[in-house]
Parts: sequence; structure tokens; C-alpha cells
Amino acid sequence: MNGHLLSLIVAAPAVGAVLVMLLPEGSRLGIRLVALVSSLISLAGSIVAIAGYDRAAGGLQRVEDYAMVPSMGVRLRFALDGWSGPLLLLTGVILFAGVLATWTLAKRDKEYYALLLLLVAGVLGVFVVQDLLLFFLFYEVAVLPMYLLIGIWGASHAVPADGPFKRAWTAFSVGSKQYAAMKLTLMLLIGSAAILVAIFALYTASGSRTFDLGELAQTAYPRRLQVTLFPLVWLGFGTLAGVFPFHTWSPDGHASAPTATSMIHAGVLMKLGAFGVMRVGMVILPEGAHAWLPVVGAVAAINVLYGAFCAMSQKDLKYIIAYSSVSHMGVVMLGAATLTPEGWNGAVFQMVAHGVMTGLFFALVGLVYERAHTRWIPKMGGFATVMPGVAAFFTLACLSSLGLPGTAGFVSEFLVFLGAWKSGHPGWAIPGVLGAFVTAVYVLKGTRAIFWGPGPSEEFHELSDAKRTEWVAPVVLGVCLVVLGLWPRIVLDSIEGTSAAHLQRLVPSQVVTASVEAAR
Amino acid sequence: MSDLGVLVYPLCTAALAVVVLLLDVLRAPSAAGSATHGRRLGWFVAAALAGLFAATFFYAPSGVAAHGVYEAGAWSLALQRLFFAAGALGALGALDDVADRTPHRAGEYWMLFVSSLTGMVLLPGARDLVLLVVAFELMGVPLYVMAAFAKTDAAAGEPRGQASEAGLKFYLVGATSTAITLFGLALLTGMAGTTRLDALAAAPMTPLSAAGMLMVLGGMGYKLGVAPFHMWVPDTYQGAATPFVAFLSVAPKAAGVAALTQLFLFGLGPARAQWSGPLAMLALLSMVVGNVLALPQTDLRRLLGYSGIAQMGYLLVGLGTGEAFGAGTVLFFLTAYVFTNLGAFLVLHVAAKAGGGHGFDALAGLSKRSPALAGALLAFLLSLAGIPFAVGFWAKLYVFLAAWRAGNVALVAAGITVAVLGLFYYLRMLHAAYMVDGDLPRPKPGLAAGLAIAVCVVAVLGLGIWPEPLTASALRAAGSLLAQR
Repeated sequence: MNGHLLSLIVAAPAVGAVLVMLLPEGSRLGIRLVALVSSLISLAGSIVAIAGYDRAAGGLQRVEDYAMVPSMGVRLRFALDGWSGPLLLLTGVILFAGVLATWTLAKRDKEYYALLLLLVAGVLGVFVVQDLLLFFLFYEVAVLPMYLLIGIWGASHAVPADGPFKRAWTAFSVGSKQYAAMKLTLMLLIGSAAILVAIFALYTASGSRTFDLGELAQTAYPRRLQVTLFPLVWLGFGTLAGVFPFHTWSPDGHASAPTATSMIHAGVLMKLGAFGVMRVGMVILPEGAHAWLPVVGAVAAINVLYGAFCAMSQKDLKYIIAYSSVSHMGVVMLGAATLTPEGWNGAVFQMVAHGVMTGLFFALVGLVYERAHTRWIPKMGGFATVMPGVAAFFTLACLSSLGLPGTAGFVSEFLVFLGAWKSGHPGWAIPGVLGAFVTAVYVLKGTRAIFWGPGPSEEFHELSDAKRTEWVAPVVLGVCLVVLGLWPRIVLDSIEGTSAAHLQRLVPSQVVTASVEAAR
Repeated sequence: MSDLGVLVYPLCTAALAVVVLLLDVLRAPSAAGSATHGRRLGWFVAAALAGLFAATFFYAPSGVAAHGVYEAGAWSLALQRLFFAAGALGALGALDDVADRTPHRAGEYWMLFVSSLTGMVLLPGARDLVLLVVAFELMGVPLYVMAAFAKTDAAAGEPRGQASEAGLKFYLVGATSTAITLFGLALLTGMAGTTRLDALAAAPMTPLSAAGMLMVLGGMGYKLGVAPFHMWVPDTYQGAATPFVAFLSVAPKAAGVAALTQLFLFGLGPARAQWSGPLAMLALLSMVVGNVLALPQTDLRRLLGYSGIAQMGYLLVGLGTGEAFGAGTVLFFLTAYVFTNLGAFLVLHVAAKAGGGHGFDALAGLSKRSPALAGALLAFLLSLAGIPFAVGFWAKLYVFLAAWRAGNVALVAAGITVAVLGLFYYLRMLHAAYMVDGDLPRPKPGLAAGLAIAVCVVAVLGLGIWPEPLTASALRAAGSLLAQR
């Protein structure tokens, strides 16, 4: 079993998806139990994997190698490194919480859980696979079920069609209901097309007939090729990470997605994009990354600020969280663009921290919406008196979002801004810090308007707090948020080793130093 | 190895055609015109072809026959295997429809079906222009008849003239393209002084033979239905019986691509500089025209017709590399395409039979009415769109990779871009099946068509998860054809 732990982690949700499809229609409990058990297997597996990771040795561990298409040089190679461990854990936690958060779903639950599990199998695969082509394959498996997850179970008519897509809609009479789903899918697939072109170029130019990430990273590609390919990888994966101006699918997608889908989507899916930019773009194309660095960093800074300002002007609760995700993913990209150990550790830590935080947000938003049947903030107010538990956890997530010391958000933002300061572009820290400030404004304003202000109005007197299983998601995620804030070492240690190894190649001159001390 | 041993698969198929004819002639008088008789014949044909398919895994003929006119090897075997599979699945898919619609003429249908298949099975071994043309026409002529087969037996609610129109259009275009092809071949042969493909490669290129080559390319383009020679495709697909279209849209295309490969990569390989440009143009036009014109279609048969044109475009991208690796990827693509498109048309047929015509309405609420059928459609459409873990992903990936390696960077970039566009109309079909409510009755595929669809699903997903066996055998087959050059 130990030799196949990573396969087990990836396969458990996929097998769960198949089992769910095979269950008879209407076996509500059976479907949920299968989903829960397979998510627990993945979660337990990732805990075992991260606990067993030898931080002193670093590098790739638990390598599993299967010949998949040897005649094309495609090998299914799983391995754990310092980055993938925490991200696996994050995915496991979010899936587990997500399954519980949609426990009450009534419409076509069988297909819903099957798709959700399939999506997560793709996510987990991306984090551990060491073959570029299969990286892309798992990436697609993670992205595509979103179309159905949003299209079928999404909130209808929540998102009015706008912009060029609107014309396409009228022309082909698709109707506005699936607008968000199709916008998301098409935008992400255009990104995928760019990635695929880059993969072809990397494979052909390496001349070694392999897609192995490690070997490709050892290849010295000509500078011109690197400079040409980097933007393809950056924007291709970056679309999923919400890189400005290709983030527009994300708020619409989040706003119309059902609770667990939003959790997975913002919590882990967007991380795949940033992970891809770092793991494929920067590590394999170091010279390209250096050449484009000013642009990547500037766009990330825009992301942070622009996302925060957009969030501030929203009245729909889900849109606030969605735009805050765009802003926070900007922090990840900013950290990546610094090419410093602090920045990279901060970026990966922010992936985990933001994943947990945003998962918590969407779980709570789902709870509020299920009771109040509205996400329109001006109608709300004073909900803390009727749902104190939800209010408390929501406030906790807000505090992490604005980077309060003692929460996970603080650690990552601190590291990223430190990295920005130490990098060649100290100016990036300024919009970053400003963004954090604006974040404080809108989250506090939002929380006050929903939970702490006067009210609740007459129609909301009957609202209740979370019940039974509904508690699991907020509690688990809330605890993670505080633990990560107080004791960042549990994941930062392993992240650090891998960041250092990658940076060694990327920035050979720079002395890679420990940054954990600074975080504490 | 004796000639008989080398020619065993074409001979067996030809014998099967005769046996089918005899079975029909010698039937009990009481069985005349009964649907049961037609159904039995269909099952017999499907079982025999499945048997031949299985036999290809145990007996691999190799060597030349008829003084080098025919050659059996890994290339011909791989394609023959594909034709047997397509034939068996096509027979399974059509047998209920044929037996119910045309009970009096079911025997003729199956005889024509197997005759056409004989031409296909003969084709990949042809190393001589004369045999190539004969095999191609043996395949093509029965198809004209079959396209118009349902002309007097239109099902209730269908305009009666459609099948005749489909057949006539198909015939006129086919005959014209044959004439053009033959004229081109005459020029080529006249200049080279030989009809042998390997000798053709050695002959010097003259302007006249280059003109002949282009005419052949155009003529073959008509048969394959690539843009700008594609006009007959949507009309024929719409007019002919859908289960027949399922077969028509895959097997003859595979045969056409086999002929192109033998003629251009094997025979005219040294003249690649002259034909690669026009071929790339055809590929680009097909990808763009197919994907763009599929967008506004409301009849799903026409939509799949245009999608097929686009798929042929991707295929030509791989063929344009002119090398064994590219030909191998093309063979992989063809195999993927056969299972995917055949399955998609069969699902469409079954769904349309439940009422609702052939528009998007026919799919409305399919996921509730028949989850299995909707799931099958999902697999096929994802494969056509080139989504991972369906075989179509690998197919598209391989041909683009081959073209990229051969240096056709711009063509690949264009292809990937329009492929994303193509996703839109596949998603529209899925949208109808999964997100629109419909209250049509539950579609019933019947045993035969259900079996065919199931086999296609297994192939599409199985080869999508583990593409290695097919990849290796396709590359080996293409290598064996082009290594001798």
C-alpha cells in the first residue's frame, strides 16, 4: 500500500465517482457515503503522505512510475514534493468539507457527486504528476466538469449575459441560463489551447522524446523560444488563476455555482492555474520568466488592487467573495513573480491559506443563502443574533482575509510582501499593501452589513444557526485557518525545501536562505 | 506464402458477400419480406465481420500477391482490422432499421454492404494504381445505392424525396470525382510509364504529372468530403437513413485516407514539396469551414456532417507531414474517429426514433429519459471535441504533435484555435441532453444498436485511458508501409 499511496490518493475520488454512478437512483445516503468515504481516503492519504515526507532530504519522494504510452514518451509518474504535500492536504480538506456542505442537495445528486469527485481526482493528479502531458490531462479533467456543475446545478438567471458573449448567445439561442458555465469553459479552454501549443514546442525542442517535468527543466532551451513560450504558459494557466484581464469568468462562475462547487473552484481549482505557472512556466522556462517578470509582477499588482476595488463595490455576497479571490490570487502571482524564496514560500502558502479561507467563506455563504434565500447584502443585517455560529466563523474568515496576525492570511501576505521588497522590484509591495488595506475595508464593511448591523428585519426572524453536519465544514476549515496562522511551520517547512530547489536553478546567483524565522 | 494466404481477408469478405446473396435467394418462401429474415441476415453479417475482426489478431498474412500488385503487412492488417470493426458495428447499428424499413430488400442491402466492405478491405494492400482505383470504386458504387435505399420506404413524417436526393447528390459528386481522379492518374501514369506505386516514386516529376497529382488530390478530396469539396456531405447525411450514415461517415473516410496515404506518402513521397502545400490548404480550409459552419446548424445530422469535415481537416494535418510518424498518428486518429463518430450517429438515430426529429429537441432531457444513452453521447462528444481520457484527445494530440515536429507550426496553432471553437457546438448538444427538460418517450436502442453503442463507448473510453496498444500498433503499421520506400 505504501508504495502506491499517491495513486491511491488520486484514484480514490475517481473510483468513488464511478461507484456513485453505479448506485441505484434515489439511494441518497449511499451516494453521500461513497463520496464521503472516498474523500476521507484521499484526505487520510495526504496526511500520511505529508507526515512521511522527509523534509531534510527534500526532492521527489514516493516516486511511482508506470509506462502509459511509452511509444510517445508519456509515463504516468507520480511523486511527492514539498509543494504537492500541502496542496494535496488542502484539496482533501476542501473536498471533505464540500461533500458535507452540500449534504442536503436534492436535484440530481448522483451526477453531482460523481462530477465533483471526478473533478477532484483531476486536481489531485495535477499536484503529484511529474509528466507534462499528463499534467495537462489532469488539468483538463479538473476544469471541464465545471461546465456541467455550474450549468446544471448553478443558480439560474443569477448572471445576466454581457459583453461579446451576449451576442454569441443571441446568435446561437443558447439562452442566458448557462451563460456563466459556457463563458467559463470557453475562456479556460482557450487558455488550454495556448498551453498545448507550449507543450508541443517544449517537447519538440527538447529533442529527448520525453514529457518528464524534471528532464524538461534540465533542458537549456534557447532564449528566444523561452521568451516566446512563457506568455503562452503564463496566460494559459493564468486564466484559471484569475490573472487580469482574463479573470472575468471567475466572478460569474463563482456566483452561479452551487456551494461545494464554489468551494472547490475557488479553494483549489484556481490554485491549479498558479501552480501551473510556477511549476511549468517559471521552472522550465527560467529565462522566459526573467524576461517577462516586470509584466507578470505588474499584472499581479493590478490583480490585487483591482480585485479589491471590485469587491468593495459589490452588493451580492458571492460576488464579493469571488472578487476577493481574484485579489488574493493576485497575491499568489505577485509572490511567484518576485523569484525570491520568501515570495515563493508565501505564494504556495497563500494557495493553501486562501484555499482554506475561501472554502470557509463559500461554505458559510451557502448556509446563509439556504436560509435567507438571498445574497443581496442591502436586504440583510443583524444576522448574528439569529445565527451566531455562522457569524463567528464568517468573521474569522474575514480576519484571515485581511491578514490579521495569528491567521493564515497574515503569514502568506507577510512573506509575499517581504519577498517583493527583497526582489528587484520593491515597488510591487506598495500596491500589494494597499490591496490588503482595501480588503480590510470591504470585508469589515461586508461583515458588519450582514451580521453585526441593526436587524434582522421581520422576514429573517425565523433564520436558524447551522445544524448537525453543517457544522463540520466551518469547524474543520476554521480550525485549519487558525492552526496555519499560529503554526505555519507544519507546511512551510516542506514548501521551503522545494522552493529553494527550484530557485537554485532559476536564480543561481542568489543565496537561498531560510525565511521561516521571519514568518514567526 | 501463397497468393491465397496473402489475400485471405479480401477473399473472405468477398465470399461473405456471395454467401449473403445466396442466403437471401435461398430463403424459405414464407420468410420473404419478413422483418425477422432481414434481422437474421443482419446479425449473420455482423457476427461474420466480428469473427473476421477477431481473426486479424491471430493470423497476420504478409508478403506480396499477384506479382506485387497487392501486399499484405502490418499496414494492411491494421486497416483491415479497422474496416471489420466498423463493418460489424455498422451492421449492428443498421440491422433493425433495415429490417423494419425495407423488409423486402434487406438481403440486397447486406449484399451491397459487404461488397462495399470488400473494396475497403482490398484497398490498403493495393500497391498498384489500377487495383487502387478498382478497390476504391468497389467500395464506392454500392454506397451510392445504399444512400438512396430508403427512397420509397420513408418513415412516417419524413419527406419522401430526401433519400433520393441524398443518393443522387452523392452519386453525381462521386462519379465526377472519380472521373477527375482517373484523369489525374492517367497523367501520372503516362508521365511515369508505370502503374506501380513504388515505381511511381522513382519516376521524375514533370509539370504534367504535377498537374495530375493535384487532380488526384482534388478528386480524393471530394470523396473524403474535405473543404472546398464538401458540399455533398451535409445533404447526404441529412437525407440518407441515419444508421447508414453512421457507417458512411467513418469507414469510407478511413478507406479514402488509406488510399491517400498509399498514393501520396508511399507512391509520391519524393514529390512531397509539390503536394504538401495544397494538402495543407485543404486541411486548413476543412478545419475552418467545418467548425464555423457547424455552429449555426439546427439539424444534428448536418452538424455532425460539418464536424466530420473539420475532423478530416485535423487528419490531413497529420498526413501533410509526409513521414511515417505522421502516418501513424493518422491511423490512430482514424481508429478513434471510427468508433467515436459511428457511436455518435447511432445515439442520434436512437434518440430521433423516440420522436422529436433530428434537431436539438430530440436530445432534450435525454439524461433523464435514458441516462445510459446520454452518457454514451457524452463520451462520444467529448472524444470528438478532444477532451482528455476520451480517445479523441490522444488522436488530436498526436496529429498536431506530428505536424509540429514536422515544422507546420502555423497549421497546428490554427487547428488548435478552431478546435476550441468547435467545442461550442459539441457543448450545445450536451447542453440539450443534460440541461434542457424534455418529455419525449424513453428511447429504446434495441439489442443490436445498443450493443454497437456499448462497444463504441468501451473503445472510446478504454483507448482513452490506455492508448498505448493502439499507438504502438499504428506507429508500427505506418512504419512498415513507409520503411520500404
